[in-house]
Amino acid sequence: MRNSALAALTVLAGVAALILGVAAPASAHVLPTSTVVLEVHDDAMDAQLRIPVTDLVSASGINLGDETAADLAAHDSAVAAYIARHFAPESATAHLVPPDGADPRMFDLGYDVVVHRIVTHAVIVSVQNDWSGGVVESARGLGTIRRDTVTGEITPLTVDLGAASAWTGFTSLVSLGLSHIREGVDHQLFLLTLLLPAPLIVAAGRWAGPARPRTAVKRIASITIAFTIGHSVTLALGALGLPAPQPVVEALIAVSILIAAVHAVHPIFAGREAVVATAFGLVHGLAFSATLTGLHLSGGQLVLSLLGFNLGIELMQLIVVALVLPPLMVLARTRSYRPLRLAAACATGIAAVGWLAQRVGFANPIASAADGIEGVSVYLVVVLWISALTVVGYARLPLTRSGRSAAGRLTGSSIRYPWENAS
Amino acid sequence: MPTLPAIFRSKRVITLVASTAVLGTLLTGCTATTSTAGTSTSTPSSTSTSTAPTTTAAGSVVAATEAFTATLTSDQLASLNQEYTLENAEAWSNLPQAMSRNRVGLQLSELDDSQLTALGTLLQAVTGTTAGEGYDEIQQLLNADDYLADNGGGSDYGSGNYFIAFLGTPSDTGTWELQFGGHHFAVANTYTDGVLAGATPSFRGVEPYGTFEQDGETNAPLESEQVALAAVLASLSTDQLSSAELDGVYRDLVLTPGNDWAFPADNEGVQVGTLAADQKALVLAAIATYVNDINDADAATILAKYESELDETYVSYSGGSSLTEQDDYIRIDGPSVWIEFSMQRGIILSGSHPHSVWRDSTTDYGGTQQQ
Repeated sequence: MRNSALAALTVLAGVAALILGVAAPASAHVLPTSTVVLEVHDDAMDAQLRIPVTDLVSASGINLGDETAADLAAHDSAVAAYIARHFAPESATAHLVPPDGADPRMFDLGYDVVVHRIVTHAVIVSVQNDWSGGVVESARGLGTIRRDTVTGEITPLTVDLGAASAWTGFTSLVSLGLSHIREGVDHQLFLLTLLLPAPLIVAAGRWAGPARPRTAVKRIASITIAFTIGHSVTLALGALGLPAPQPVVEALIAVSILIAAVHAVHPIFAGREAVVATAFGLVHGLAFSATLTGLHLSGGQLVLSLLGFNLGIELMQLIVVALVLPPLMVLARTRSYRPLRLAAACATGIAAVGWLAQRVGFANPIASAADGIEGVSVYLVVVLWISALTVVGYARLPLTRSGRSAAGRLTGSSIRYPWENAS
Repeated sequence: MPTLPAIFRSKRVITLVASTAVLGTLLTGCTATTSTAGTSTSTPSSTSTSTAPTTTAAGSVVAATEAFTATLTSDQLASLNQEYTLENAEAWSNLPQAMSRNRVGLQLSELDDSQLTALGTLLQAVTGTTAGEGYDEIQQLLNADDYLADNGGGSDYGSGNYFIAFLGTPSDTGTWELQFGGHHFAVANTYTDGVLAGATPSFRGVEPYGTFEQDGETNAPLESEQVALAAVLASLSTDQLSSAELDGVYRDLVLTPGNDWAFPADNEGVQVGTLAADQKALVLAAIATYVNDINDADAATILAKYESELDETYVSYSGGSSLTEQDDYIRIDGPSVWIEFSMQRGIILSGSHPHSVWRDSTTDYGGTQQQ
């Protein structure tokens, strides 16, 4: 199997410089196409070009020797000059900075790199990041530049980015935040595992019976708020440029889940959950920030994005807590909560170990399986609610039927109220 | 990987269209169809032209389809019989099935030996008898894909990955298409009221290119096409070559699969009408290496039409005129005929390999197109 290297070229807005690199080898049967990916910013646009090196050589006449990354780098300026001759956006001046009065969202791309010479070549154009157009973290196709076989002419591609507004950018970041937690199984598991023992009291250094509902709710609220404060701080710092080595952050997140799982089995920081939640919130926030920095935003767009993204994260977090906590609090009063808590904590612990191994470089089936939990989490929530409602229904049954006090039956049921016994 | 029975593994007949003697006979045969029918006995194609009416040939196709379908199970028939729609007709590709996945019909790996033999008989009824063309070429092309499967291509390649489909019910009334294809290969015979209404788009490509051994047989599919096309360019004077040369690099065909009814409005290259008689003969001989892939009677009819349009036909090329290296490209563009041959880089093996398509700007898909 022969490989064809691709050159990755970045035309930087306002800077007459090209960064050359060799991308991953393409499969030999992949169609020999170039791609142009636009990133739309406040006042300029980046275009990232990927061109099959052999086609670049044929079309430009530049001899790139063995067509390696080093050969490309050595001919950097010649390649840049060739591309500049064949990439002249109509309503924009140098490097996609729109001139005064030109519509920055609708223009002729003016691109015929390689196609001008290689008749059978095609260029696929898409927009990857367009904050105010609502395109974040996913690409939208804009069209293909190729020769019309009937006329023999290259049909110019008119880029139409559509309507744009700050509100569109903000709301797209809110939904990005929502999906980030919905798909971020590790973040959900950390929070839920931390909350697993929250409805319980500690007796003799072990998790004992259920806490009073008011106490449980307070504890849950404080853990959730503490986690939020933690990750909000580092999300902002990370997005503003605080360096965060993602492999380390990802590994630490796995560690945080493991510690939460151990705590759910046996209390190791009872009463200081909020402190721990804040500390690990700082770690999780650094992971969130990587998503934002990937969007290459600045100024007002960055501030609005921070706000919107964080809001989305909080909303989804609250939804998860609201979905899971009520049934947990009900089940915490039953004898079945102990095996449930231990099973959930152990499963989470195993997943955390799998993730940790994966994130320090040892791919394993446990991590892969854990990544797939997202698909079944809805069913877990349904099972929790059915169990909880069954317990409630069973407890209420005698009251609604006969009107007699349920106390006598409750002693025979699985529900215990230690504080009532004490009073 | 299932291998095909012997009927699909032909002995390659070595004769190629390299010599002017062969060209001469082909031309004589074609001339015979337009002047004194029945007098020529030099080639099978000229004989059948003069004796067998086209309708009889198509009638025998329906009979051959029935002989084939009689061997199939109901499940196999359900795969084989598809609706006659433009969408199904356009569902061909030059790509291996693992990358195309659009093909409809019955996969050859689902057939047992006797069913494959019946299919072979059917294909023989619709393809030509000229050595190196028609049915012989099909067998060699399937051998080529088996060779790829055995030499680095793996299970995505091989003759088991080819598909046969009937679009519409084979009948001497109405329109239906016999579609047969796979990697580097597409046959599209459309019949209307028992007459072959179109034999295109017809795709041929091959890797390995050149002579190779597979299952004890020697093969060199598409060599006759390459030799005949290169002979056209070799016959051109310097001036003719320069007017035939296209601007730009052709790394692939222009009218690739899916690029239907997109024929260039303007002809490019040197006009065949300006060439000498022996050069014209070479052009027609090159065209014949494609047309002779279909059964001899139908081929003679179509070739006669292309011959009558020969003076209005253009030859153009890009890259080297030997048609052996990557980016070497030739096109024959007439009022009806469209033939492209493009040398491309190797995919599984090193070296160049050709892709080639024969289209007809009036009878592609039997004339069926989007309204």
